[in-house]
Amino acid sequence: MMPRVLRQCAALARMNILSIPQRIWMSVSTCFAIALVVAVLLVFLAMGNGFKQAQSSAGAADIAIVLRDGAQTEISSTVSREQVMLLEEAPGIARASGKPLLSAELYVIVDGIRRSNGLKSNLPLRGLGVEGAALRHNVRIVQGRMFRSGTNELVVGQGVTREFAGFDLGHTLRLGQTVWTVVGIFADGGTVRESELWADVGVVQSVFHRLNVFQTVRARLASPAALATLKSHVANDPRLQLVVESEAEYFSEQAKQSSGLIQNLGWPLAIIMAIGALAGALNTMYSSVAARGTEIATLRAIGFGGIPTFAGTLAEALALSIVGGLFGVLAATVVFNGYSASTLSSNFTQVIFTFKMTPALCVRALWLAITIGLIGGILPAIRAARLPIVGMLGEQ
Amino acid sequence: MNQALLVAKNLGRRKLRTGLMLLALLIAFFLYGCLESFDRAFYASQNSAADNRLVSVNKVNFTLPLPISYGAQIGLVPGVSAVSYQSWFGGYYQDPRQFLIMFASDPAGYLAVYPNLQVTPAERTAWLADRTGLLVGRTVATKYHWHVGDHVPISSNIYTRAKGSHTWDFTISGIYSFPTDPAREGQVIMRHDYFDETVTFGRDTINMVMFTTKSAALNEAVIKRIDTQFANSPYETTTDTAAAFNRAFASQLGNIALIIRLVLISAFAAILLIVGNTMVMAVRERTREIGVLKTLGFSGTAIMMQILAESMLLSVTGALLGLAVAGLLITGLKDVIAGFAPGMHLAWQEVVGALGWAVVLGLATGGLPAWSGLKLRIATALGRI
Repeated sequence: MMPRVLRQCAALARMNILSIPQRIWMSVSTCFAIALVVAVLLVFLAMGNGFKQAQSSAGAADIAIVLRDGAQTEISSTVSREQVMLLEEAPGIARASGKPLLSAELYVIVDGIRRSNGLKSNLPLRGLGVEGAALRHNVRIVQGRMFRSGTNELVVGQGVTREFAGFDLGHTLRLGQTVWTVVGIFADGGTVRESELWADVGVVQSVFHRLNVFQTVRARLASPAALATLKSHVANDPRLQLVVESEAEYFSEQAKQSSGLIQNLGWPLAIIMAIGALAGALNTMYSSVAARGTEIATLRAIGFGGIPTFAGTLAEALALSIVGGLFGVLAATVVFNGYSASTLSSNFTQVIFTFKMTPALCVRALWLAITIGLIGGILPAIRAARLPIVGMLGEQ
Repeated sequence: MNQALLVAKNLGRRKLRTGLMLLALLIAFFLYGCLESFDRAFYASQNSAADNRLVSVNKVNFTLPLPISYGAQIGLVPGVSAVSYQSWFGGYYQDPRQFLIMFASDPAGYLAVYPNLQVTPAERTAWLADRTGLLVGRTVATKYHWHVGDHVPISSNIYTRAKGSHTWDFTISGIYSFPTDPAREGQVIMRHDYFDETVTFGRDTINMVMFTTKSAALNEAVIKRIDTQFANSPYETTTDTAAAFNRAFASQLGNIALIIRLVLISAFAAILLIVGNTMVMAVRERTREIGVLKTLGFSGTAIMMQILAESMLLSVTGALLGLAVAGLLITGLKDVIAGFAPGMHLAWQEVVGALGWAVVLGLATGGLPAWSGLKLRIATALGRI
């Protein structure tokens, strides 16, 4: 019994799908509507994902970041020279030939001119200590060289050169009363660091009238486990009033805080649009059932059951939605994967990131298409299964 | 039997199909209503700023400080009519996640530079008299249930006061509305003298000087004069109109306008295809009837107009329904929306825009079937089954 029903289902599914060309424009428009819904969803998901990854993948577990107690971000933190000196003696920090691997840093916001619209945007200029660059594992200079201490030299993340004008290798720019030269471009695997400008901390302090003031301290931990040692040491010294986090913790918190309105708009928008596409799918499938009325009645008369009739119609709806969905995924990926954009982070500076499609996101978007197909197919399929045989055959 | 009745009968003949087309149209115009009114609210600040209002900020970036004396110095520049200044306070209420858009400013200057800020004379006097007084925008007051006279503790995520405390006590002097720029109702203004007296660092510095000129015609000369005056000093300035400054600031969040346009284009393209195809199909079903109508003496133009009227009626109805739903939603979620798009509401701009698009959509979806209705020959129509 069962195999016969299955065979009938397969036969009718095949028949329905092969007859799609008879209703080609109706079917194409439904496919296209579903493709658009899927594409909108996927682009938003890829944008959110790219933005999140730029931040969350930047943090290392064996680097500690020290902020003023109560500061949520680097920009609102302050650390004095005395506190830096106390930290240099703190346990848990790795040392090389007796010197602690630590960089006290100053973070200043400067203007950059966006290539796309010529408007000013906030860019972070980070003053690094001698060990600063070595505390970033994955950073490598892709053009030029590192800045030299004590000079007005800048190295620039490659995200900045991509999105902002005037930061190409060899360019000079004026920040405050000082002229700076871009001597190098660095890459860091697409993380938020590629949105930064780096220079010598002493020079940044003097140019921006912030002598002896730092904002954060980064330190290499003797091991990831040493984080707890350093944390409790800092917490127990009343002179410090600082908090210690691993860089990984810090960045994942940043990613959480700054996933804003736009990143979360994808699902609501896609669901609303999906309702519109669903109306189209229902229309297509009802007219498909209406057009095949005689055919369905004939099949029923020669012994095909209600279930195969139902399954055949549903198969057609699913085929349309899957084709539409795949097309949407393809189009969104071709046009938007790797698309570069930037927005404000919780540090009040631009985070430059690229849209990142992943197979998991594509599958999620495809599920939306399949849902539209299922809902858009079930009701017309029920109608198909219930068509009165006598009435339909008698009509003509 | 007149033409209008025929149009109505045609739409009513397959109620489910008409209903589904209306639903699709409703969705498109619902999105249009929501996104366009969001867009208008989001960009309101750059369009509503008076054209004689200017701002001076640190040339390197507006987050960097300027000396507080720049306020008075800019006030002396010929052509400047009112001056104020502000510092970003980094304020939050109770929890760092409940951050406030909070500035420290000089009260008399602030009220002079923003004459459209509305408070009662009693509240104005109270703020001018009380150093710990706070002027609170209506949206913020509603959100935290604050009333005039309340004492509220507010913390700063940047500044500290003596003994390492991060919390300041304020008395709410007044709650203001700002009809010309509702986004400003989401702000909180403390007094700069209270700030200077209590912070452990950052004293006597500001982030921005806001001022008005006697006439927008003087803007260029005033801008040049100010920026030249402070050139080659440790704190150089860049001066611009408030509108231009706001535009650059809004663009920092990303190209919101582009995102909105792309989403709307996608939604309309999808709906155009769905409704257009359905119309083609609906008219093809009626081929015989059209033949009969033509035999009865209806001209080709009359048939064409009938079909266009049908598609137009459909899309205008869909547009009105969509706008109605959008309007209800925006009104219903007013308090939530005030948090990210203060002043967002559906206005005539959206209604006119939506109706314009409804007409375009109606023509586009009805165009092809109307054309075939016009051209259809009676013999073909009656011959075709």
